[in-house]
Amino acid sequence: MAEMILKKSDLAEFVKSLLSDYQVLAPVKDGRHVNFAPVEDGEFLLDFQNTFLSPKHLFFPQSEKMFEFSTDKAGEGAFILKEVEKNPQPRVIFGLRPCDAKAFQILDKIFRNDQYADPYWFNKREATVLIGLGCNHPCPTCFCTSVNCGPFHEEGLDALAFDLGDRLLLRPLTEKGRKVLDQAKGLKPADDQAGEKAAALKDEAEKAITSKVFTDQIARRSVMELFEAAHWDRVHESCLNCGTCTYVCPTCHCFDIQDEVAGIVGDRVRNWDTCMSWLFTMHGSGHNPRPGKKERVRQRFMHKFKYIPIKRDGEIGCVGCGRCINLCPVNIDVRDVVRDMNA
Amino acid sequence: MKTRTEKIRETAKRLLSEGKVDVVLGYRAGTIPLRTAPYFARTVEEAENLIWNSHCRINLANFLPRRQERVAVTAKGCDARNIVNHIIENQIRRDQVYIIGVPCEGMVDLDLVLEKESRPIQEVIESNGQLTLKGPDFSTSLDKAEVLRQNCLTCAHRNPTVYDELAVDQVPELEGVDRYADLKELLAKSDADRYAYFQELVKDCIRCYACRDACPLCYCQVCFVDEAMPQWLGKSIDPADVMTYHLLRAFHCAGRCTDCGACESACPMGIKVRQFTRLLEKDVKELYGYEAGLSLEAKPPLTVYRPDDPQEFIK
Amino acid sequence: MTEEQKKTEEFEPKIIAFLCNWCSYGGADLAGVSRLQYPPNIRVIRIPCTGRMSPKFILQAFRRGADGVWVSGCHPGDCHYIAGNLYARRKFTLLNNLLHSVGLEPGRLHFSWVSSAEGEKFATVAKEVIAAVKAAGPNSRFVKSRIEVA
Repeated sequence: MAEMILKKSDLAEFVKSLLSDYQVLAPVKDGRHVNFAPVEDGEFLLDFQNTFLSPKHLFFPQSEKMFEFSTDKAGEGAFILKEVEKNPQPRVIFGLRPCDAKAFQILDKIFRNDQYADPYWFNKREATVLIGLGCNHPCPTCFCTSVNCGPFHEEGLDALAFDLGDRLLLRPLTEKGRKVLDQAKGLKPADDQAGEKAAALKDEAEKAITSKVFTDQIARRSVMELFEAAHWDRVHESCLNCGTCTYVCPTCHCFDIQDEVAGIVGDRVRNWDTCMSWLFTMHGSGHNPRPGKKERVRQRFMHKFKYIPIKRDGEIGCVGCGRCINLCPVNIDVRDVVRDMNA
Repeated sequence: MKTRTEKIRETAKRLLSEGKVDVVLGYRAGTIPLRTAPYFARTVEEAENLIWNSHCRINLANFLPRRQERVAVTAKGCDARNIVNHIIENQIRRDQVYIIGVPCEGMVDLDLVLEKESRPIQEVIESNGQLTLKGPDFSTSLDKAEVLRQNCLTCAHRNPTVYDELAVDQVPELEGVDRYADLKELLAKSDADRYAYFQELVKDCIRCYACRDACPLCYCQVCFVDEAMPQWLGKSIDPADVMTYHLLRAFHCAGRCTDCGACESACPMGIKVRQFTRLLEKDVKELYGYEAGLSLEAKPPLTVYRPDDPQEFIK
Repeated sequence: MTEEQKKTEEFEPKIIAFLCNWCSYGGADLAGVSRLQYPPNIRVIRIPCTGRMSPKFILQAFRRGADGVWVSGCHPGDCHYIAGNLYARRKFTLLNNLLHSVGLEPGRLHFSWVSSAEGEKFATVAKEVIAAVKAAGPNSRFVKSRIEVA
């Protein structure tokens, strides 16, 4: 299928033509921030930096019910674990930034191993089509090009949109993407000029990213060498061990499962958890393998830049979106930490 | 006349070279504009990195509990009161801390600046009460007074009350400020309205605990949110659990909070969590005549009682 | 009878009463021994002293579905542990104000001083508390229902 052109004035038609089969989510203003929300017309943003929180909550909600149970002998289904209805609505997410899409790809690898694939994650993933929007103006804190990603990176997307000004170029990338673009109205085949403009935008955007980190030495060094480096003694000093970086990060995926019981009924709930918490590694015996801030802070960066690459064939566990840099209350900058690790 | 930054560097270098302290705790410039980071200067060379500007929002007293070494701290009015609090609560000894008091004219609220300027900012220059924000193709100026933090606009103690030396001369305290004007208005509403207000206030909470971790008062080894037997609240973002968290945390700060605003500054979601702590601060002031951290001899209100304490609501 | 009256008529509140071991629990006991009548809506939790009370208990009681909470202890000056209730008094004042400020309806949270000789007072206060909580209706604001998430 060829690339298509969608005039921005036809966005409403485009969205409406999908509504019969899909819920359409697009970036909208949410107070001071931008977040994904369902839309039914063309009233959404194309001119924004990135969503405030990462969109991982669209597949991995912060709090998710896994199943219910009850011991009420008088009621139905006592002592039977009742799975929560998982009929995810087919969705199209329009306007996803390539870094976030790459993050979903990384999380796909993490939520699946050779014996088990997390159904809560994959059910929603399979029912969702991702149409990305390349970044014409990357943020000053973006460093995606240093971590196997980029402002127009295609991994993880079903289609990619280029903002050419008054119109968008839509490039289908997968079968799912093609199916949506086939169904959609308001599209015309793209002309060569559009294709050239798109390529130029990609070039300019990649050049515009001046924030760079290098990870070649990290890849070369052994785990123990990185683990015992001296700089960890200084990095952790200002860390608050709050969960902000982990919760806004598109690749952080740790969770805690707990049963919430109210008398004779209960729910098993999965909540986001953070390795920044001392409780995260606390053993029942009272021993904590990561007893202090130094151990926990080191763990986070080692996980993202060393352990994940080892376990996932060189995939770096960070997509360079820069959210943690903007939101860390004490301005711990991942780029500086990686520079120290790579020094 | 030296600037705060110059004086702080000078003092830090002197204290470190004379071996009076093991570390000087201050701020360094952020890696991105409008930010600073807590900085632990351990050598005279490192002391050169210390700065002071309108973005020193984090309360450095947060890093004092359980510290074994001798530490000098650059402390604005509210932070210095928290250091006093720590000494009263035996979290650090008086002889361990050298308080470099920094009279403060207010810190900037990052969210207010970003609201006024959403284009990417590359550089910020501060001078004469103006913030000049520069981007790739623009330069605008903001009045610092327009973007100060809410707690700074109503600050009761800009000058540290307990200190070992002051970095600059004291600044005039604010006059005629009603710290609780908005709360009084809120309290006059119906209980249903108030309930709706507070539910709305915390609806975006993601339970990251940045507020708790930025707060100098929250130094418990095992926080109430970590307790499991019994478990006082769930770990999810269920509205009932979120409200329980904020209510209990605020209550734990009753009579101790100095309204430094680190909690609100740390919150990634921009939640005005001070609305909870200020309700208690108002009561503590009006009922028990107490303000936290003003003197080393003061006794926190919940550690004492008077035979005639108010009790009209008790049957 | 209006719909609303019917609702309150049928509604039997669950009230958790935290009673200090030495005075109020004794007072409750005396009320019982003296066969003084009061509605059966209170469930008693005995604590050694009101000084032991924590806001965690009160919030937890509401969270788990209590429609009302009543805390009762020795009169100031008569505390078995000398000053437990005097410290508690300040905590109660602050918590009472805080919870009402954030929208707890009037009539749900009660505090009293009842001595072990005041069986009559215990029954009277119990009746007052139960009537007030009944009028406030079922707790919907600070209760944790089944988890409300996606």
